[in-house]
Amino acid sequence: MTGKDILKITLNLVVIYLIGGLILAVVYARTSPIMFKNAVIEKEAALKKLMPDADKIEKIGDWSIHEKHSEYFVAKKGDNIIGYIIQSFGKGYSSYINTLIAVDKDFRVQRINVLGHAETPGLGDEIETDSFKNQFKDKDVEHLKVLKTETTEYIQAISGATISSRAVTEDAVRNGVDFLKKAIKNRGDDEHGSDKHS
Amino acid sequence: MAQTSTVRYLDLIKNGIFKENTIFKLALSLCPSIAVTNNLRNGVLMGAAVLFVQVMVNITISLMRKIIHPRIRLPIFMLVISGWVTVTDLTMAAFAREAYKQMGLYIQLIVAFASILARAEMFASKNKVTPSMFDGIGMGLGFLFALTVISFFRELLGKGSLWSFPIIHAKPLLIMILPAGGFFAVGILMAFFNWMSMRHESKGR
Repeated sequence: MTGKDILKITLNLVVIYLIGGLILAVVYARTSPIMFKNAVIEKEAALKKLMPDADKIEKIGDWSIHEKHSEYFVAKKGDNIIGYIIQSFGKGYSSYINTLIAVDKDFRVQRINVLGHAETPGLGDEIETDSFKNQFKDKDVEHLKVLKTETTEYIQAISGATISSRAVTEDAVRNGVDFLKKAIKNRGDDEHGSDKHS
Repeated sequence: MAQTSTVRYLDLIKNGIFKENTIFKLALSLCPSIAVTNNLRNGVLMGAAVLFVQVMVNITISLMRKIIHPRIRLPIFMLVISGWVTVTDLTMAAFAREAYKQMGLYIQLIVAFASILARAEMFASKNKVTPSMFDGIGMGLGFLFALTVISFFRELLGKGSLWSFPIIHAKPLLIMILPAGGFFAVGILMAFFNWMSMRHESKGR
């Protein structure tokens, strides 16, 4: 291989990669704003879907689980608080499962939704099905437990996907509700405290 | 002349579906195929995505075949493949959000498909654009066909449903949707198709 060859190869490679990079940059620039806009719309719709009765959903704080940033919200109807929504993550079989959990004023789960995950297709991804998610209705922290046998009192595991079921139930939802309970209680105490002092 | 070239293009398509079927005959790209074929919908969507990428890669490589220096053809092929996969990924994420949610996981996997690289190297880099396109269509259709058949049996036996609609109401064979069942399904179907083509050949004689 002569010096001329090396020069030719280098030039060939550099030019083609530059063109490839440029094309990708253009495509990314055109698609990412749409993607971002859709994600925001989707999040609002997801919150609304979890609390259909609420006419106002406001963010009240941030928290983090598995070093991931999450948020929590209060849902109001008129001036009355009807419940809370918290975003939470669970460590699954092959990914962190991103969930939204809606609870009523007494911190009983009303609905949950799975926003994103990379669990095994065909097995772990059954956590997205309604038959799994509907089990969470009216469960309090004590009953957020996964059983492998048939149960209505607790949460029944998806066959072949116990780890994913546990990740949603005992990691994401239970920790989320637990945190929410404490956070809301502290807020209440703080407000009381400041009242007393003033 | 026009007649013969039409015949040739048809042959290229048939070649991809039967004679050189990526999975049943060449036994390439088995790993990603087993990973995604535990339900029919994923199998079909994945096959369609691969069909698109295969055709686009073949056309691009064929157009570029004269300016690519032979010594660096592999990095160039990889760039073209990953470029088209990324374009598909971004476009789907922006414009087909619902479908992307279901298959977003697999789209990026296509980069690692040996079958696409193999066609770029063996066919598109040596042939004109039109035959390369038809080769891509044939290979892509063959892959789509294989994934459809495999996922059809795996979902039917492993879950008792098709395209998520329940069909059989007995207790399903869970192993069929686990990776081990993927190997069983591919092995049995491969044997079946080889037996069919052997019978076909001996009849021809």
